[in-house]
Order: sequence, then structure tokens, then C-alpha cells
Amino acid sequence: MKYSTLPRIKALRALILTGRIPGMLKLPLLLGMFLTCPILYAQQTSAPTDMNLQTAQSLLERMDQLEATVRELRAALAQATAAIPKPALPQAAPPSQPEPEPQAEHAASEGMDLNKTLLRIRGFSDGTLHGSNLKGDTTSFSLGQVDLFVTSDVSERLKFLSEIVFEAGRDNSFGVDVERLLLTYSFGDFLNVGVGRFHSAIGYYNTAYHHSTWLQTTTGRPFLFQFEDQGGILPVHNVGMTASGRIPSGALGLHYVAEVGNGRTSRSPLNEQVQNVLDENNRKAVNFAVFARPDAVRGLQAGLSIYRDLLAPQNSPRIGETIFAAHAVYVGLNFEWLNEALLLRHAPQGTSRVFDTPGFYTQVSRRFGSYRPYVRYQYVNASQSEPVFPEVGLRHGPSVGLRYDLSEFVALKFQYDYTARGRDQAIHALALQAGFTF
Amino acid sequence: MLGTAILLPHVLLLGTSESLGFAPQSRPATDDSLGIVVNRSNPVENLSSAELRKIFMGEQTHWSNGRRITVVMLEPGKQERQAVLAQIYRMDDKDFNKHFLQGMFTGEIRAAPKTLATSTEVLKFVFNVPGAIGYVRGTEADESVKIVHVDSRLPGDKDYSIRLHPKSAK
Repeated sequence: MKYSTLPRIKALRALILTGRIPGMLKLPLLLGMFLTCPILYAQQTSAPTDMNLQTAQSLLERMDQLEATVRELRAALAQATAAIPKPALPQAAPPSQPEPEPQAEHAASEGMDLNKTLLRIRGFSDGTLHGSNLKGDTTSFSLGQVDLFVTSDVSERLKFLSEIVFEAGRDNSFGVDVERLLLTYSFGDFLNVGVGRFHSAIGYYNTAYHHSTWLQTTTGRPFLFQFEDQGGILPVHNVGMTASGRIPSGALGLHYVAEVGNGRTSRSPLNEQVQNVLDENNRKAVNFAVFARPDAVRGLQAGLSIYRDLLAPQNSPRIGETIFAAHAVYVGLNFEWLNEALLLRHAPQGTSRVFDTPGFYTQVSRRFGSYRPYVRYQYVNASQSEPVFPEVGLRHGPSVGLRYDLSEFVALKFQYDYTARGRDQAIHALALQAGFTF
Repeated sequence: MLGTAILLPHVLLLGTSESLGFAPQSRPATDDSLGIVVNRSNPVENLSSAELRKIFMGEQTHWSNGRRITVVMLEPGKQERQAVLAQIYRMDDKDFNKHFLQGMFTGEIRAAPKTLATSTEVLKFVFNVPGAIGYVRGTEADESVKIVHVDSRLPGDKDYSIRLHPKSAK
């Protein structure tokens, strides 16, 4: 049977081009034309070339019917839209309102677009010109840590966080450290559980500034909170698990942190100080901190923490380590006052001796526009016979400096430090630093 | 047919920048108060000023129904944003940026507020995201969102605290 649709399609195409076809019908018709092209091509040799006027007329009638149908549908749509119950003001909103589909949140939480990276990266770094009268020290330009802070929302409740730090040592060669690596599951504001490597919640400074000098007012950390590989005495890093959250306490704003981990190595000072893979003993370090951020004084935080571990140095008895820490800080937009004190106690097993190392610092600063002058006084006093840190001894003295925020993300700092060291020569040091985030 | 027609407004409006087509909530045209808006499925009706500040500062991260809070801000330069920075955050844009940078760095804040260009986009975002909270001029709020009370007051009420021009509060 010879039945050709080609003339009808040509008529349709003409009608579309002249605008007689309603907009909403154009796409399906064009799609149909496209899909039937191969069939039509096969028919073309035997199809008549002139358009049948009767067919065109019937198509026009059909089109009129379709336009009428579209008008009816539009009217029905308008009626249905009007029939949707409109919400009243908030206080009167009925709970049975049809809830809108949470499309955007679903897309973010349930589906993972493999073509889209989940990573957010922020960088921190600094460069410092420094010098001192310490024997063997030379005036030097020093590259600071290049800190890549990487976070990712793995899911609605799972979050990944890491700090990857490139840092040159005293041998001038760069090395890479994963300073933080934490996968946290959030049960809500009251419980967040993380696993990985983190900064111990001992005191305030350690978890407030991490590895960014740009965030700090001063050019560096207080001696008490120096990193392990820079001569610090605290287990600044820990590998294990952490739980934190708010404590229901109303305007008092109580928070807690509980940690368990490998603690710091004590076998040899030459070892990597953070026990990333293997603990030197089966006893785990535990730390518990509680602090308050009262609503009445925004910017105020006061808290306590206690840390316990068992150290196992080579060729000596095991040593119980306990660290008590307390802090009261006020960090406002213009005024800052940090106060921390701690007592580090080492108790070798099998003896009645204990070695207490007290330390504290206080730091005050005030912002005047882009300028922020500051002063800090710090103190630490370790016994000469301290079994773990015999080289620390007594250190105390003030630091004064000025921070100038060159731009929103770049800070210049100039700092002078004076450090008295018991019977040793006091150290005078100067530092000029540019800290920035990128 | 009717069901399809009811769904159409929701479907058609996604991805457009035009108004959601909801009726505006009635406010006097001269009212300069800012409405704090949440998704209509959010059970919250009233927030104290302190709670509002904690939410916007990222210190409270979940609603009472367990939904994660997503704060949405207008982009820098907008008058509404400046008012919110001054009256809720009590800081300027620089301090705002530093606050969230430090909060995310410490891990205490999960994400900085989402920034959108227009009030229409804010309304659409809050309409689509159950945990969202944002702000628009009281006269621009429509029925796609819920306006929450702040200290038991609504925009337009006497002593309502969040305004474009706080000194004009009577």
C-alpha cells in the first residue's frame, strides 16, 4: 500500500515556522519529525511532491481543537492553583500545610555528584625575618608553614577535616605533615564524634589557632603550646577518638570535650613525637575538658581540662603523666585577653617522687583600626631533674608587638621577645612576620 | 490532571530567578523591619535575640527537629545585610569573614552562610531547603516562607528589633 506521510510532515513544518503551532506543542512535533526522518527518507522516492490541500485543512482544524484544549488546561491549572490552601501568618500556620519538597537539601545530602568535588581548600602561610642573641642563631628569613586546610561535607552528618602542612626544618629541607585528619559524625549540637588525628583540647590556645599564624595575634605560639617538634612540652597532637558538644545549661553555655588516643611518645626524643600508627604501650591517653561560654558576656570562655597518660621511656621506669589546665579568655572584636595556666606532673612508677612543671601566660591586645598592639608574658618552670624535659628549666619573660592588618587577609607583625633562662643568658629576639590566608 | 496541575508551580519555579508566585504577607509599605524567614516545614515559631545570634553565628547548628541549619545571607553591599551584620552579628564584613574562617578552621562551624544576590533568591532558597534561615524586608516576605517571631514580635510590631534603620524604631 502506498501511504506517504511526508506531505503531512512538510505541512506541519510550515505551520510551525509560521507560528500557527502553540509553543508547548512545537517540541513534541519537532521530535516526532526528527525520529521519523529515516522512514520518510525511504518513502521519498514514491511520495508526491505537492501538498494535499485537504490534508492541510484537516490539520488546521485539528490545531484549532488543540488550541481550545490548551485554553481549557490553562483554566484548570489556574483553578487548581487557586485551590491550594494559602498559608496564613506564622502564628496561624496550620501544621497540615503541604510541605514543599526539600529539593536542594536532598541534592546535597543524599546524592553524590561524582563530577563535582566535595573538597574546600583554604591556605595559611607566613614568612618571617628574625634574629636573636642566642648563641648559634643567625638572622634569617624563614619560610613558615604552608598549611592547606581541607574540609569536605561527606554527607549531611559526616564531615572530613584535615590540615596538610609543608614545612622546612632547620636543615632547610621541606617535609610534609598531616597535622590534623579528622572524620566527624555529628549527632547534633550535643554530640559530635570524630576519629583521626586532632589537636588535644588542653587549654584554649591549642584548639583555637592550630597551625595558622595569620589567625594568631602574635608571631607564634606561647612556649607552653609550642608544637612537639619545636620543643614544646605538651602532647599537642593526639591520634584517636574525640567526642564534643554542648551541655544543656542555658545561658551558661557549657561545652565538653572527651578524647582518647595514643598520646605522645616518650621512648626517645628522636622518634616522631606523635604516635600516628603505633602506640608504645597499651595504655591510652585520655583527656576531658569542660568550658563555659556564657551568653551574658559574649567572647568570654573559661574552662578546665585534665589529661592522663602513661609514658614508657627507654631504660627507665614508666612515668604517669597528668596535665591540669585552666583558662579564662576574652576575645572581643577589639579587645583580647588570654590567660592560661597549667601544671604538668610526671610521676615515675616505683618512686614517691613527682615532678611538677607549672606554666602560664597572659596576653592582652587592643585593636585600633588596622593596628593591634599586644603584650604577652609567659612563664614555665621545669625541674632540672625533670625526667622527660630536662632541658626546659626556667623560662619567663615578656613579649611586645604590633600587628597591622595590611588587608583583610594579610597581617604584618613586629614582635620583640625577652626570655630569661635562670642562670643562662637571657635571650633578646626580634621578628618581622607576614602572615596571610589564601 | 488536578494533581499534575498542583505540582506544576513547584516544578516550574525551580531554577528560575523569578518570583515564586506566592502572595505577599501583608506589611505596611513603609515598614522598614526585616523578617527572619524559615522554611514552612520548620516547627520554630519564636526565637530570642540570643538564639538568633547563635544561629547566625554558626554556634547552633541544628534545629529542634534535628535538621541542620543553613544560614543564608545577602551579598556584601546590600542594605539588609549591613543591618543584619550590625544588629545580629554586631560586626562588619571583615570580622564576619574572620569569624567564619576561624570557626571552620577550628571545626566548630561546619560551613559559612550561603550568600545570595537578591531577596527573591533568599525566598526561593528558604522555600526549598527545610533547614534554611534567612532574612528579607518585611514587605518582601511572601507566603512561600514562614516569618518567625523574634523576642515574640513580628516585623511591623512595635519594638521589633531588626530593622534597616534601627533608629527609626518607634
